[in-house]
Amino acid sequence: MSIPSKDLATTPGPTAPSKAPNQHLRRNPPIAGETDAIQKAQAGDAASFEMLYALHKRRVYSLCLRMLGNVAEAEDLTQEAFLQLYRKIATFRGDSAFSTWLHRLAVNVVLMHLRKKGLPQVSLEETLEPSQEDGPRKDIGARDLTLSGSVDRVTLERAIENLPPGYRLVFVLHDVEGYEHNEIAGMLECSIGNSKSQLHKARMKLRDLLKSGQRKEAVL
Amino acid sequence: MSNVRKAANGSTVDCAVFQDQLPSLFESGKDLNMQPHLKTCENCSALVRDLEYIAQQAKLLLPIHDPSPEVWENIQTALKKEPSRSK
Repeated sequence: MSIPSKDLATTPGPTAPSKAPNQHLRRNPPIAGETDAIQKAQAGDAASFEMLYALHKRRVYSLCLRMLGNVAEAEDLTQEAFLQLYRKIATFRGDSAFSTWLHRLAVNVVLMHLRKKGLPQVSLEETLEPSQEDGPRKDIGARDLTLSGSVDRVTLERAIENLPPGYRLVFVLHDVEGYEHNEIAGMLECSIGNSKSQLHKARMKLRDLLKSGQRKEAVL
Repeated sequence: MSNVRKAANGSTVDCAVFQDQLPSLFESGKDLNMQPHLKTCENCSALVRDLEYIAQQAKLLLPIHDPSPEVWENIQTALKKEPSRSK
């Protein structure tokens, strides 16, 4: 998997996992020609809409795939997100970056989909209040392998897929997509404190998942 | 004599208190290595290193890859059924 240099260039330092200094640039790097394409697409220009799709399809699809963990569903919801974009693009006023606006739209599409499925684990209320056994245990006195430098991206992607849905949503939105807790709280209709708490639990759970994977590898 | 209880595994209740504070400590953006507890607790130091590492690695995950070409084909088909917005 290749990483665009613009993403690597703004990677935060090791001591600030929650506050990246150039986070807004990382998430919303300037895109040449985007402003013009937005205006033309708002006026109904098909080629400009196609350009916006080409510019943003990868990030919208990545967001859907990470939040859902299923390629077919992620593609369906990518399609639905861009159809909604077509219907709503005339309402975009530039109050926020276009990519932020589009991502919020995509997140809402995913959340609506999860609610429609009606499965217990995708009830938003429930996913944001996981059962106690899903919560982080205190890591007191354990002596075990440390993770640093040992986890490749494929392994991390798999571990994220195995997070409980509520944890996964907050982790993807904050740590992968770079949203702030107040933005996440707005999207998920929860408190900022809840978003922070879920993020911490998600990281703790990921640590457990990654360590258990390492233990299995060590045994083999 | 210190009133900090020591567990059989060598840890103290300080660890529980410290870990309860971790979400807000991370969110503060401060250098956690300066936290007094980490100077004496190898276990919590490892925990902090791991959580920081996970957060760093997550930031490298963007993006995955493109959706299949069928997605755009389906969008185009659906758009043909939408009312035109051309001025």
